[in-house]
Amino acid sequence: MTSLSQPAATPPGTPALPSPIGPEHDPGPSHAHGAHPDHTLTGFVIFLASESLIFLALFVGYAVFKSSAPLWLPAGVEGLEVREPLINTVVLVSSSLVIWLAERALHRQRLGEFRAWWLLTMAMGTYFVVGQAIEWQHLPFGLASGVFGASFYLLTGFHGLHVLTGLALMAFFLVRSLRPGLVLPEGKGVVAVSLFWHFVDVIWVVLFVLTYVWQRR
Amino acid sequence: MASSSTTSPSFDPRMLKEPPPLPGSPGSWRRYFSFNTDAKVIGIQYIAVALLFLLVGGLLAMIMRGELITPPADLVDPTVYNGLYTMHGTVMLFLFLFPVLNGFNNLLIPPMIGAPDMAFPRLNALAFWLFPVFGVILMASFLVPGGPSGSGWWAYPPLSTQNPLGHALNGQLLWILAVAVSGVSSIMGAVNFCTTIIRMRAPGMGWFKMPIFCWTALAAQLIQLMGLPVLTAGAVMLLFDLSFGTSFFKPEGGGDPMLYQHFFWFYSHPAVYVMALPIFGVFSELFPVYARKPLFGYKVVAIASFAITVLSLIVWVHHMFYSGTPQWMRNVFMVTTMLIAVPTGIKVFAWIATLWRGSIRLSTPMLFCLAGLFNFIFAGITGVMLATVPVDIHVGNTYFVVGHFHYVIFNMITFGVFAAIYHWFPKFTGRMYYEGLGKLHFILTFIGSTLNFLPMHWAGLMGMPRRVASYDPEFASANVLASLGAFLLGVATIPFLLNIVSSWVRGPKAPPNPWNAIGLEWLLPSPPPAENFEEDVPTVISGPYGYGLGRPLVEDQERFERRALQT
Amino acid sequence: MTRTGRRQSSAGPSLVLVAAGLGLDALASWTMAQQSYHWLPVQASTAAPYVDNLFALETGIGTFILVGCSAVIAWTLLFNRAPKYDLDDGDPIEGNLSLEIIWTLVPLLVVLAIAWHTIGINRTLATLGGKQRLATAAPTATASAPMATGSLPIATGTLPIATGLLPISPDNTEIGPIQVIARQWSWEFIYPSGVRSSELHLPVDRPIHFRLISMDVLHGFYIPAFRLKQDLIPGSVIDYRLTPSRQGRYRLRDSMFSGGYFATNQTDVVVESGADFAAWLAAAERAPLRPSFNAANDLWQQRLAKGNRGWATVPPAPPPEVNVSLDPQNTHEA
Repeated sequence: MTSLSQPAATPPGTPALPSPIGPEHDPGPSHAHGAHPDHTLTGFVIFLASESLIFLALFVGYAVFKSSAPLWLPAGVEGLEVREPLINTVVLVSSSLVIWLAERALHRQRLGEFRAWWLLTMAMGTYFVVGQAIEWQHLPFGLASGVFGASFYLLTGFHGLHVLTGLALMAFFLVRSLRPGLVLPEGKGVVAVSLFWHFVDVIWVVLFVLTYVWQRR
Repeated sequence: MASSSTTSPSFDPRMLKEPPPLPGSPGSWRRYFSFNTDAKVIGIQYIAVALLFLLVGGLLAMIMRGELITPPADLVDPTVYNGLYTMHGTVMLFLFLFPVLNGFNNLLIPPMIGAPDMAFPRLNALAFWLFPVFGVILMASFLVPGGPSGSGWWAYPPLSTQNPLGHALNGQLLWILAVAVSGVSSIMGAVNFCTTIIRMRAPGMGWFKMPIFCWTALAAQLIQLMGLPVLTAGAVMLLFDLSFGTSFFKPEGGGDPMLYQHFFWFYSHPAVYVMALPIFGVFSELFPVYARKPLFGYKVVAIASFAITVLSLIVWVHHMFYSGTPQWMRNVFMVTTMLIAVPTGIKVFAWIATLWRGSIRLSTPMLFCLAGLFNFIFAGITGVMLATVPVDIHVGNTYFVVGHFHYVIFNMITFGVFAAIYHWFPKFTGRMYYEGLGKLHFILTFIGSTLNFLPMHWAGLMGMPRRVASYDPEFASANVLASLGAFLLGVATIPFLLNIVSSWVRGPKAPPNPWNAIGLEWLLPSPPPAENFEEDVPTVISGPYGYGLGRPLVEDQERFERRALQT
Repeated sequence: MTRTGRRQSSAGPSLVLVAAGLGLDALASWTMAQQSYHWLPVQASTAAPYVDNLFALETGIGTFILVGCSAVIAWTLLFNRAPKYDLDDGDPIEGNLSLEIIWTLVPLLVVLAIAWHTIGINRTLATLGGKQRLATAAPTATASAPMATGSLPIATGTLPIATGLLPISPDNTEIGPIQVIARQWSWEFIYPSGVRSSELHLPVDRPIHFRLISMDVLHGFYIPAFRLKQDLIPGSVIDYRLTPSRQGRYRLRDSMFSGGYFATNQTDVVVESGADFAAWLAAAERAPLRPSFNAANDLWQQRLAKGNRGWATVPPAPPPEVNVSLDPQNTHEA
């Protein structure tokens, strides 16, 4: 358990022994080697940069609609309730700190501590998603309620999808860390998930300001 | 670092595989039909499937030209014509050009920079296998009630969200899904290509020792990373408008149809550079080989690629000059659009200067390059015309634009694709192609494409709108010529396919470096082994294109040349 | 492998030759620029000469570049070809900084000059008035919006027709607003007096004010002889101005793809003298409203008669009720 974040001598997932594996599972020589240096983080950062542009495009679209649409709020809708979402926001943003603690624990090779912080992050993320779902249920407008309703649900829904993805990734690495006898070679995987989680949080802050704080026209 | 894991000399998995030739192993044709992670296999998979779709798109084009050979809409119903032209554009862009260029990226980038493979081989294979998936989705739209999308490859709302039959499953929905899956695949590819080029270059290969093809590939993939997300945002909104009753782009609900045009063109204009840039790279690779001279002004040509990337992201509004865009915005985007002429001009002049006092060999790839260069100069000039607002207001959305666009996309880009296929054919198949058939292919293609696309400019100047199934009789002569050219282009594919298939099956064996070219890929055997140079990567000591300079490209060059010959 | 072979045959052309070549190139460019006017329809609006002159200028510059580049390429193909079995390399020239600076700066200055010139023309033309966005019906709070109704609230016939304006006055004041209403697939024109027609009549040499309205999808208001084009955007009312300058019958074409029978969405523009226009208006006012000739509807009826085969399309809107209909027998000039 001490060699937690070091690169393993033999990467797991690579067949250690030659076995008559089927054609689909034959990784081919390029994988049996396992010699390539790992560029996961470079690739992941490039991906996140690109992903953030989808949100940027959606944000710009929202701002354009909001400032130019002849009609904005559906009839009978005054605006968005801010209190509950604000609590949600605080929880989600502080989970960024918690996941950083988890990452640090892993770096210091304290597996138990890592799992605890990791689990807490997941709990906070889950709280956020559940809160979001409850808010959606009680809103007095729907997806088809003009361009405001559509934009609101698209933005929060697309972000929510990212939160769920983050939770799934965290669950995946949590299960991995629980497997007995197996070291955690994916130190970089954890860093990547952590990066992704920070990204999701930053996006939410912008989204929150755009939809909940900037309500006047 | 991780290389320590493989230094154990006792285990080499390839040794163990020799007796039973497994379907995934090198040498077996079955690997081309499997989830293979070797970039060279994936490259050939991309190119082969893309060429199949070139035939599909070409067939659609020939039916369209059959319809347009006479003024009235008499061959097919106008609604069928609309579907055909929509699918022709979509197939050619998303199922032919993007994939075929991804194929070249896969084949060329790792050997050119001395990498064993792409940075993420599994992601690479996944990106490829999404290609048949969205290909099938798009083709399936021919079978749904109401036929495929008939709203043009721009899919402008509100037309694209009208859904005349009201079915949940309709051609437009499948079109959006196909484009979305294609976008996912392209993003996967872009992440992979960028990481590979940034992180996996051979020792000694600094940025300014990298071949121009890699520069242009990187510049193009950066556009993908920056533009595709914006298209995705627009496509998701369009999907919601079409299927879930939202009104992002519907004026009835307060939406704005113009916003879609901004989203669409923010990506789709730069997308032309995603396709053009790698072909600039092909020209920069091939002119030095067949003129036996260094590329003129290598550094400036390299940097110009990135100037094009940056400029391409700030020109999109020139597609909306007549859509109610305010005057100041038209002026700004006119200037940015015209500025693109500067870096592309630099490249054109550099290629011409590369020919100057060279020792020119007119083999098939060179012929395609020269014709492609000539056509590109022509297309660049009409491009500047289109950038100036008053001329664009007259000829925008007419056949002039169709002619200009096909000069770019076919007469330059696809010519470059053919040049690249011929040039690197021996390297990656291990067989030589037949020069005679290649030249026949070139002559038919050049005559056919000129006949097809040149008269379109005239029809457009006279005021023939694009996308029409019927037209006024005064445009008949231009359209007859264009149709004849299109059928000739159809004929031209016969020698091409014959050449490719028969050469691959029984062409003469290719030496490692049949063109006497300089570049890391030519230091490998033909075809290169699965992992290219494996552990023994040459150290690059000089820039590319050292023709006539008598300097070695890498340390120990002769050893690598000998090794390539022995294998 | 990489021998440095110098070959004697590839001596460059002399200065005289270059000067002669440039002279010929300039001559060819001037000729092409003159020719370019013949590639365009007749000039029938005040905007047309500006567009054509700009196009001629660009044709001239473009020809100069195309011929110049092609000549150099042709020269290399004639005099720098490798003889058969000759494996020598060319001259190992890697670049030339001053040359590279020249061919960066000169094109830059040329395009900036063209852009500057064009901005001036844009200011002169300035045909586009302010774009107004329509406030449409309020979206309902919860109910899902009906899908693709295809009709805007303004389609109910309550169009803001400015009546009472004298259509013709002896001075050079603006005529209008003439409302241009596009549908899938018909054109309808409503004059200030309330006359409706499906072919557009305009007096020559008078500034015209149009109000462009689309009832369903995007359309394009394009008259090639005028060299002008403007999209019609559903949900917006667009003010547009132009001045016809030549009498004749021209073609108006829908230029923005609008679906099914897009290709048939064309009509005629008749530019006539002020007196003829006034007479036409007066006669039109007396004519009863009747459904216009409409090619899209005819084709649609044919399709229905043949069993409605073909791919999906919305059915054409009913032909507009007009005082004066388009006559498909007429022939247009451009």
